[in-house]
Amino acid sequence: MTDVLPQDWLATVEALRADGFDYFDWLGCVDEIGRRDCFRIVLVVRDLEQGAEPRMLSCSVPRDDPRIETVSGLFAGAGWHEREVAELFGVEFVGGERRRLLLNPGFEGTPLRKDDVLAARTAMNWPGAKEPGEADFSASRRRMVPPGVPEPVVWGDRDPSQPPADPAEIAESAVAGRVRRRRT
Amino acid sequence: MSSSGQSHRWIRLIEPACTSCMICARECPSWCISIDSHTEPVEDLPPGARDRTRNVLDRFAIDWSLCMYCGICVEECPYDALEWVDVLTQPGTSSDSLVEEMAQPPEDAGLR
Repeated sequence: MTDVLPQDWLATVEALRADGFDYFDWLGCVDEIGRRDCFRIVLVVRDLEQGAEPRMLSCSVPRDDPRIETVSGLFAGAGWHEREVAELFGVEFVGGERRRLLLNPGFEGTPLRKDDVLAARTAMNWPGAKEPGEADFSASRRRMVPPGVPEPVVWGDRDPSQPPADPAEIAESAVAGRVRRRRT
Repeated sequence: MSSSGQSHRWIRLIEPACTSCMICARECPSWCISIDSHTEPVEDLPPGARDRTRNVLDRFAIDWSLCMYCGICVEECPYDALEWVDVLTQPGTSSDSLVEEMAQPPEDAGLR
């Protein structure tokens, strides 16, 4: 995997295409919150004629202003991948198609960001909330919260005098619910 | 992906091995495992021993309309009480009929 700076993104992809890697495979995005304050855009191109190892490019864009140039001018098929990343992560592809691809027009939010709370899960009975030896959802001393939902003190029942929770703190709730492995 | 190398077709509960620890239900990403259990005092303790209880499984159900056959429950179970079986799950006529009850009710299970 080759790391590329955002300003070199388009030129690097163009150079690879000229070099024979003219088959666009896929483009995706990773939320790096908790490690670094950025999104990582990943792109894979292949050279079908030479059968060389596919080339994987990655480019980090800051979370507070995620934007990168579109490569849909080079590979028209990348447009769908970029639109998917744009609506699921809120990354702007400069010069690309701005229409939505998958989500409802009225949908608000960026569901694949790790600090996006899975709010619908707070309203449902989580099967894992029961303790061993329990048969119903009784109000026990300490409710476990499902993955994707932060502890009530962080989100939902937060002290109103406190500022909103830090995105990294909310993103920790994406870790499984059995034991919240708190980073130290 | 499964450790046994079998295909992802059906998951079987090995009931005697299950301790109702809830780990599979908590690890399941699609919330398809429901477990009910109760505690019972352990009998025939040595004289003078402190009272102990054990969990007794009452209900173990997998909702196949929610399950995505990822196998995380099989991997996570510390007691190897879940395993892949190379048999297809039963089809149903409604989403309710895809909820499969896997634990035998105690009255049918004979001597426990």
